Amino acid sequence: MTNRFKLRLIAAAVSAMAVPMVAAGPGLAAQQLHGVFHIGAGSYIRMGTPSGGFFSNPYSKDANKTYTTFLSGGGGGIRTDVAQNAPSPAFDSHGNSLANSIITPTNFTGIRFGVITTLQPKFLLSGHRITGYLRHLYAQWNKQTFYQGSIVHGTYRRRSHHYTLTWHTEVHGGPFDGYTGYWHLQGTFSP
Amino acid sequence: MTPVEARAPKRWPLAVLAVIGIGLILAPVAFGMFSKAPDGASMMTSFSPFMTRHRLDGFQADMRDVGNAVAQGQQAIRHPGRARGGNRLLARVAPQFASFARQWRGVDSDMGGMLVKIKANLPNYQAMAALPSFRLFPWFFVIPGAILLVLAATGLARVAAWRALRWVAVVLGIALVLAPVGAQMFSRAPKGAQMMSTFKTIETRHHLRRIQGYFSEMAVGQGLVQLELVPALRHTDLGAAQIQARYPALHTLDASWVHILNDMTPMIAAMSNNINDYQAIASLPSFRLFPWFFLLPGVLVIVIALLGDRRRGRGAAERERPGLFNPVNQGVT
Repeated sequence: MTNRFKLRLIAAAVSAMAVPMVAAGPGLAAQQLHGVFHIGAGSYIRMGTPSGGFFSNPYSKDANKTYTTFLSGGGGGIRTDVAQNAPSPAFDSHGNSLANSIITPTNFTGIRFGVITTLQPKFLLSGHRITGYLRHLYAQWNKQTFYQGSIVHGTYRRRSHHYTLTWHTEVHGGPFDGYTGYWHLQGTFSP
Repeated sequence: MTPVEARAPKRWPLAVLAVIGIGLILAPVAFGMFSKAPDGASMMTSFSPFMTRHRLDGFQADMRDVGNAVAQGQQAIRHPGRARGGNRLLARVAPQFASFARQWRGVDSDMGGMLVKIKANLPNYQAMAALPSFRLFPWFFVIPGAILLVLAATGLARVAAWRALRWVAVVLGIALVLAPVGAQMFSRAPKGAQMMSTFKTIETRHHLRRIQGYFSEMAVGQGLVQLELVPALRHTDLGAAQIQARYPALHTLDASWVHILNDMTPMIAAMSNNINDYQAIASLPSFRLFPWFFLLPGVLVIVIALLGDRRRGRGAAERERPGLFNPVNQGVT
């Protein structure tokens, strides 16, 4: 066996092991997060209109009315190990959402909206990066339910427990057909 | 004329009846009715909560509430009270409110016009809704078509049986003639066509986007009234009771806003969710033609079934005689 052949053999063996390791790297490093994403100040939703602008919510507490800010509800925020379903009834007689687990129902054009999950979400942490499988998230407003789930991305700092999550989901059908919900959550994560 | 000649009918009417039967079976397939008719039924069901005089009057009342608030809001800004703090606040609201008032003119004209059109078509909708369910329409063609095909095929296979079967065909023809009469299609279908024509400019994605935009403008306007204009008026020398007495429409809008949202957003949702259904049903042949799709085949079936009783010539009859070689009976041709 020549040296050159030995070298080639070693290189082939190393790459045969390294390629799957690199491919699986993020998976190997990813750690599933269990706990509660508390929704803190600075969290918001913006409704992008089909024409490219943003829906202005006069009842928003933000100076820029295209940002509707909200805070955690009674459940403390998004819980990773349970589905935070809509209560029964889901709305009061005016159409205000009674879903107060994830966020405190928040005024949108005069009627409060809430957020629910129908299946428990899953969040994976890789380094500082979070990938969340929040595909079963819905907003409820005015006796209507809008799908707003997605795969979400964000960051997490272990030391401070501070996190951010962002995603956007287009609404299909209903009064907001063609609008896009741009979500941004930030706050602390309690493992 | 021999007894055999007397029993033997012509074959071509049977062939024509078979063709009509196949045509009736294939017509709904060719028009895509099996997928489009359920879409139409779904659209009619979705529209039903909104297509009542009471509900349409309610939408127009909602529009009036907003319109009156716009007018009185402008009036309040033009003739403010005396307190300086309030005047300063009103001056700050004025440009935004003027912008809303300008937008409102367009909203009122377009959306108000749409409501007038829809209301004018209420009898047309009701006529259309009184027709049998759209889901059944394809079967109204397929079932008679299949029966006719079976009758014609049986008649061709067993010529002697046709004497009795042709009366079934005649009854089927009469049923096809009477179906549109019984369902009052001659009066209802043109009304349906008229409604479909009116909705051509309403049930479009482009129009939906405009209505969604109006909703957004109205929401901003209501917010201006409740969160800025009325609080500014409270800083003038007007008390709450005086504001309500002088500008009752501002209070009415505030009080009825949630009701307006409850009312209008489902309507926008129904418009949005039925655009594809409307397009599907609009791509069918005009509703005006539908009664004729039953009547014409029905008349043809009756005439042909009766013609089919006319006796054939001697040569043809001879071929039916038992014992003689008959290429048709023997399956040669």
